[in-house]
Amino acid sequence: MTSKHDKWIVVLLILFIVVGLTAVYSSTSVISPDVVEKYKKKGVEISQFFYLKRQLFTLFLGMFTLLAAYKLPTHMLKKLSIPLLIFSMVCLLLVFSPLGVSAGGARRWLRLWPSVFQPSELVKLCMVIFLAWYLSLSSYNKEKFSSFIIPIGVMGVFQIVFLKQPDFGAVMSLGMLTLFMLFLSGTRLRYVFSLGIVAVPVIIKLIMEPYRWKRVVTFLDPWKDAQGSGFQLVQSFIALGSGGATGVGLGESRQKLAFLPEVHTDFIFSLIGEELGFAGASLVVFLFLLLFLRGMRVANRAADNFSYYLAFGISIMIAVQAIINFSVVTGMVPTKGLPLPFVSYGGSSLIINMTAIGLLLSVSRGQKRQTPVAALSPVNEDMDSGSIVSRSDIAKNKVMQMTMSDVKSKKMSSKQRHSWQYGQPASRPRIIWKAGLVQLPKRNSPGDKR
Amino acid sequence: MKKRAVIISTVVIFGFFIVLLRMVDIMLVNHDRFMAKAQFQQVRKKAVPVKRGIIYDRKGRELAINLDTESIFCDPSEIVSPERAAAVLSRTMNAEPRAYLAKLAGEGRFNWLERKQSPDLGSRINNLKLRGIGTITEPKRSYPKGRLASQILGFVDIDNNGIEGIERQYNKYLEAQPEHVKVHRDARGNMLSDGMMKELKGSNIILTIDEGLQYILEKNLHEAMQHWKAASATAIIMSPATGEILAMSSMPDYDPNDPSGSKPEHRRSRSLTDIYEPGSTFKIIAGVAALEEKVFSPSAKFDCSSGSIELGDKKIKDAHKHGVLSFKEVIQKSSNVGTIKIALKLGKDKMYDYIKMFGFGEKTGIDMAGEVSGILRPLSRWSGLSIGSISIGQEVGVTPLQVLRAYAAIANGGYLITPHVISEIRTPEGGLLHKTVPQAERIISESTAETFKNILKTVTEEGGTALEAAVDGNSVAGKTGTAQIIDPRTKRYSREKYVSSFVGFVPADKPRLAMIVVIHEPKGKIYGGAVAGPVFRKTSNEALSYLSVPRDDMQEKGLLLISTTDKR
Repeated sequence: MTSKHDKWIVVLLILFIVVGLTAVYSSTSVISPDVVEKYKKKGVEISQFFYLKRQLFTLFLGMFTLLAAYKLPTHMLKKLSIPLLIFSMVCLLLVFSPLGVSAGGARRWLRLWPSVFQPSELVKLCMVIFLAWYLSLSSYNKEKFSSFIIPIGVMGVFQIVFLKQPDFGAVMSLGMLTLFMLFLSGTRLRYVFSLGIVAVPVIIKLIMEPYRWKRVVTFLDPWKDAQGSGFQLVQSFIALGSGGATGVGLGESRQKLAFLPEVHTDFIFSLIGEELGFAGASLVVFLFLLLFLRGMRVANRAADNFSYYLAFGISIMIAVQAIINFSVVTGMVPTKGLPLPFVSYGGSSLIINMTAIGLLLSVSRGQKRQTPVAALSPVNEDMDSGSIVSRSDIAKNKVMQMTMSDVKSKKMSSKQRHSWQYGQPASRPRIIWKAGLVQLPKRNSPGDKR
Repeated sequence: MKKRAVIISTVVIFGFFIVLLRMVDIMLVNHDRFMAKAQFQQVRKKAVPVKRGIIYDRKGRELAINLDTESIFCDPSEIVSPERAAAVLSRTMNAEPRAYLAKLAGEGRFNWLERKQSPDLGSRINNLKLRGIGTITEPKRSYPKGRLASQILGFVDIDNNGIEGIERQYNKYLEAQPEHVKVHRDARGNMLSDGMMKELKGSNIILTIDEGLQYILEKNLHEAMQHWKAASATAIIMSPATGEILAMSSMPDYDPNDPSGSKPEHRRSRSLTDIYEPGSTFKIIAGVAALEEKVFSPSAKFDCSSGSIELGDKKIKDAHKHGVLSFKEVIQKSSNVGTIKIALKLGKDKMYDYIKMFGFGEKTGIDMAGEVSGILRPLSRWSGLSIGSISIGQEVGVTPLQVLRAYAAIANGGYLITPHVISEIRTPEGGLLHKTVPQAERIISESTAETFKNILKTVTEEGGTALEAAVDGNSVAGKTGTAQIIDPRTKRYSREKYVSSFVGFVPADKPRLAMIVVIHEPKGKIYGGAVAGPVFRKTSNEALSYLSVPRDDMQEKGLLLISTTDKR
């Protein structure tokens, strides 16, 4: 039995959105009179629904990008991987142009009417798409150092820009994301270790910068300067700690009353902990764990290597961001400007993560429900990564429609270009194509795979 | 699943697990610790404003009320630049910056800057929006009638603790037990709950004082003070039947709204805290005792023609030579010789008993603080001269209130009453906490009282000592008193310093008011009839018309009384 897409992921997404909207409303509905006054001077009438309305609008946009990503054919996405990467780089660099907006000593945002956009969120997703594409190339050789150093180099370029902004949180999540994906691709461990050895002096140098060093010291003992640099972390502890087992009650948070800075964005998990206690907060953690596990399942059932890496990368991206956010809020990692996916107030993160979910759902589309993982394992070395039509597509009879209309013109030329670019014989796809066309009923049965 | 995928999944799951462990540590293990820290910063204990009970006169007119004022405080820990804050504040409040600098820069989390300022100033301070500086609404005691009844009411300190008078004596009723409410605040110090809307109120006190009578009394007393250039003057109006003090004052007085700088003796109710030698007003004791003990009949004759009487080695004189006087005339003309003769016949045991019986030498039991019992030597310490001196009001120390009470006993038909100023104490909701029940104790027979009242009536009539005390249209029963003051330096009676007094009640036959007027050290005239008598007359005239008491001569003068009483 097949299904359209993974319903569990949809359910989880809806749950996240419900939790997120509730938390955003709770954290932004009580506004201090002097803040209202401040906004009034800027000509903005701020109400208890001000942030909620904006978040709902973002959510609306996110629905579109989710659907677009869901509908986008895989081959299109593959083709877009390099342009998207370049686009994200341009966006990232634009931060330093007059379009850039700086806040709190960091240039991380682009002015984008009516709000601001954080390119680092886009970069992460584009990096995932790029890596999925790159790692699924037939020319990718996990044994070769050159195959390792190219993605690392791409990452390095982004990292330099991130450090310039500076956005240490993005550095951390992008680094972890890239390494996880390379590790997964089977790259030699000694490459990773040698990279680590090279990175040590760089990291030490970065940390020795006064403001960062101060941040590390603060992180080690926030109580030492509870009114100054340790303030935010201390307030986060107080929020979580006062929540206890069952919390102070929904909407009853006291820490949101200007005690905890960034309570609606990076520290929204503290608010959830305070209002709903350990019970509610751990539930949110479990939701992220569930999403990750579900994403892994989708990855493992992916039709091809690209989809496999894409699904895996997206799952890792969301999970890593969530874990870093949790760690920041609970004082296990020095404070970073990293939102909690789906939950934190903020347009860029929500739109990007919803787009990512769209891609994940796209991968999950047509996967069989009870297929043994091993039987369908797409991580088959000799599997044709250039295939445009996945097995699931074939299984869903979609191939028929596609062949009739598109294949002759579009798909064929794509294949030709593919073989021209990477020098891979285009015979296999063609065979599959034919097989798909001719032997459709046969290939529909499980175990039919090579 | 590939091995590496399993490894990564395990790492990520482990990451989530670490997060959960950390959450257990913060949220469950250390919950109490962080809860305490949360409470510390989120909750402020706020004192609920305590409004003192209101003091009313007998007709419900407010004598002591509360005004809302703003007190300005600072939290030095939140002030970044004390110098700047001091400069801004001093400009707003027209004061030296130095006055605030120490408080703004000090230790701790709370300092008063200014207390009980106008609400206007408070809102101006709040509009400055200075961090660490705020205002608290504090009720301030106010006495809307100014000096009126100030010695009875007393006053309070800056923290609303009663310092004098009723305010002090009944502090525990007037104040409410201070309470604290927990108020949640945000990080900017804005209070969230309306805990401050709550207010505690003390119990209200209803006095027996009548504001109108008090005003009349004070006005006339003040005039007399000026007219006679007296050192001080004291007067009381009391209801002779019940002992309710209707008005009581001493001059000079003070302003309870600004008690600083006033002399302590101006603040106390000298009617009950200061003693004097009563002089002739004390003669009624011997007279009443003689009638009650039937030692003399009212028609008994006394030869006072010598104008003096010798007691031991001392000679006591009359002010004027009188010749032969009847018992009645001894009192009417205030003959020392006659009174001493009565006392001698009565004997010192009886004399002492009656003095005690009339309440001298002990407190009257009035419900006000600071009352003294006066000086009455025990019988064992009386000299041979004592019976004579005491019978004419020397060698004894009395308070004006004690004297008034003795006269009230004659007015009310022989009862010694307990004077009081508190009528009722009620909770803010109106529940009755205390009601003073008039207490009376019979000391002399009604007939004696009646007989003696008629004698006292002659004092203000032709041949009496106090024609100046006669009240228009109403008969007065009373007695003058003129006593020398013992000079503290020479320990002898001064020739210049006198205490002139008049005590009596009107209308004599149906007494509504008993009044004593005591004027210390009048200049010009010294006799009680001439000095205190006019004060008594004027005050009585005004008081009786204020109370709409019908005139005794209403019918003979053909006056029509129009009743203004509502027919409900």
